[in-house]
Amino acid sequence: MFAALGLAACGSSSSTKTVTAKEAANSGGGSSVGGATTLIGAGSTLVAPLMSEWQPAYDTAEKVAITYGAIGSGGGIEQITGRSVNFGASDAPLTPAEATACKGCIEIPWALAATDVAYHVSGVPNNLKLTGPVLAKMFTGQITAWNDPQIKQLNPGVSLPSTKIVPIHRTDGSGDTYAFTSYLSKVSPTFKSKVGNATTVSWPGGLGAKGNSGVGGALSSTNGAIAYIGISYVLENKFDSALIQNAAGQYPAPSPTSILAAADAVKTIPSGGTQGISLTDPPASAKGAYPISTFTYVIVPKTGSSAAVSAGLKKFIEWAVTTGQVGAQKLDFAPLPSPVVAADKQTIGLIQ
Amino acid sequence: MSTATETPPRRRLADAHVSLADRIGEPAFRILCGLAALVAVALIIWIAETIFDKSGSAISKFGVGFLGHETWNPVTNNYGAATLIYGTFVSSLLAILIATPMAILIAVYLTELAPRFIRRPVAILVELLAAIPSVILGLWGIIILGPFMENHLEPFLHSFLSWIPLFSGTYSPLGMLPAVLILTIMALPIITAITREVFQSTDPQLKEGAYALGATRWEMVRMTVLPTGRPGIVGAVILGLGRALGEAIAVTQVIGNVAQIKASLFQPAGTMASWIANSYQSANPGLGQSSLIYLAAILLVVSLVVNIVARLVIRRTGRR
Repeated sequence: MFAALGLAACGSSSSTKTVTAKEAANSGGGSSVGGATTLIGAGSTLVAPLMSEWQPAYDTAEKVAITYGAIGSGGGIEQITGRSVNFGASDAPLTPAEATACKGCIEIPWALAATDVAYHVSGVPNNLKLTGPVLAKMFTGQITAWNDPQIKQLNPGVSLPSTKIVPIHRTDGSGDTYAFTSYLSKVSPTFKSKVGNATTVSWPGGLGAKGNSGVGGALSSTNGAIAYIGISYVLENKFDSALIQNAAGQYPAPSPTSILAAADAVKTIPSGGTQGISLTDPPASAKGAYPISTFTYVIVPKTGSSAAVSAGLKKFIEWAVTTGQVGAQKLDFAPLPSPVVAADKQTIGLIQ
Repeated sequence: MSTATETPPRRRLADAHVSLADRIGEPAFRILCGLAALVAVALIIWIAETIFDKSGSAISKFGVGFLGHETWNPVTNNYGAATLIYGTFVSSLLAILIATPMAILIAVYLTELAPRFIRRPVAILVELLAAIPSVILGLWGIIILGPFMENHLEPFLHSFLSWIPLFSGTYSPLGMLPAVLILTIMALPIITAITREVFQSTDPQLKEGAYALGATRWEMVRMTVLPTGRPGIVGAVILGLGRALGEAIAVTQVIGNVAQIKASLFQPAGTMASWIANSYQSANPGLGQSSLIYLAAILLVVSLVVNIVARLVIRRTGRR
């Protein structure tokens, strides 16, 4: 019933969309050749700052207006499944169930980012060092106080208060949750069996908040809190962020360089748009790699869009994975490595 | 009273020459009104049908055991509502427990004690509390109430009552207690408004009788206003409860959103409504969404039952 409603709604909205696109093309003097003049997307909040960077740039370059709703990765997947948008954006690859529900959707990695670990503990300096297993214990309630010996051991010389640790997590479906739980599942067998890896998981205790902004709000109001959160929110709110040890034993800060180092460790890049690429916990050979890096994906239907929309999508996604990457670096997104861009171009060719 | 004034003009209209527009207009108007009523009735049936239809796969998978099962795990696709049912009832019942005595005190003040010129303004202001959009109450909860809880109220309660498990554990700006207080604020105007009306309808002769027997004002209230108003108060309380049970947004903003049962009120929790609002958009297709709709079905049944009971109780008072 809900799915039917969604389909009905999207049927009508997409038809209005093509009408408006046509009208715009007619009234705008037909400056765009063989493509839609508006594209509508929704999803990931992580990619939202990048989208606001891309929108004016793409409008100037190609005279195509991109409308984007930052409603969370889970929401983006739902909207594209219902076809109420032209593209969805998600930081997590589609699960098999989601892929089936989406009926012939393909996912294309189009930006490279990181999930930060931020904290708010009065009396604790910035850039506290943590390892994956310790982080996992903090989020499963096995380490409960900030002056725990296991945290002290990693941070000699830092005076830590006995404040209780309050782990904050996302309650909505989130690519940040996906990347974070993917990392913790890889480094901690206990975490893998107790919690697991998905866009929403069952957290033992802590605090839940909706969206990156909700997490930011809870983090700033709760002393003793630790949270995983998109990097732009850390910079904006001036949160303290932790340095996470990678497999090589280093503590790189999340930055385009350290994210790219993680991406470079990926040897085989799948094309065809039905497989995600995991970047979390790169091997020790990836020197200086930030361990909670993630690709973020654009999800589009392979077939079924109108000719104008699919031509518009192909052009926009190709622009995003090439020219768009330059603007991305300003926002601490890393540029896509060239093998990924090559694979992306192949995948884009599949859109009809 | 109103029927007495309505009937004569209608008869006069029929006697006089009736224009064509009126002859069509009258039945058309009647049909229009009937249709509007029908739409409202159809809507509630439609919504209920949708909810039960869509929760089907979760109901057949988990059955009644869903109500007592504590896990909500999207990774293993294993869902149970116990923690959320607990959160819903504890937050709403505690809110009603605080709001009810306050509402009765306000109603007594407004009907019996307050100087006449401030009764109406105060009554209107109390009812305006209900006009505050819940998302704004929730924001206030995050900005003001949460920090106040953590830094003042919770340490205060803890220092006196730490032997009660309800007030044990570490302090937190987000948790069950702020949710209870937000719901109290939401239920208060509803309970006050109805209670005040019930008190106002107390038979003046009863009151005068009480005074004639030499009762003080407090004794008069205790002997006449409270006993005759009791069923009305019960109805008001149940309506307030219905309001609290279904609130989603404001609760989500302050409760901390964790599906767990903790004795301490300082700890985060979750309610059925807040859980649905939080996670429907991103629920796993299939069983995940169906389980959330199962939650909605439970909430719907509880809310409808609560409202029907309240209406029955209030109608019984009205008839007296």
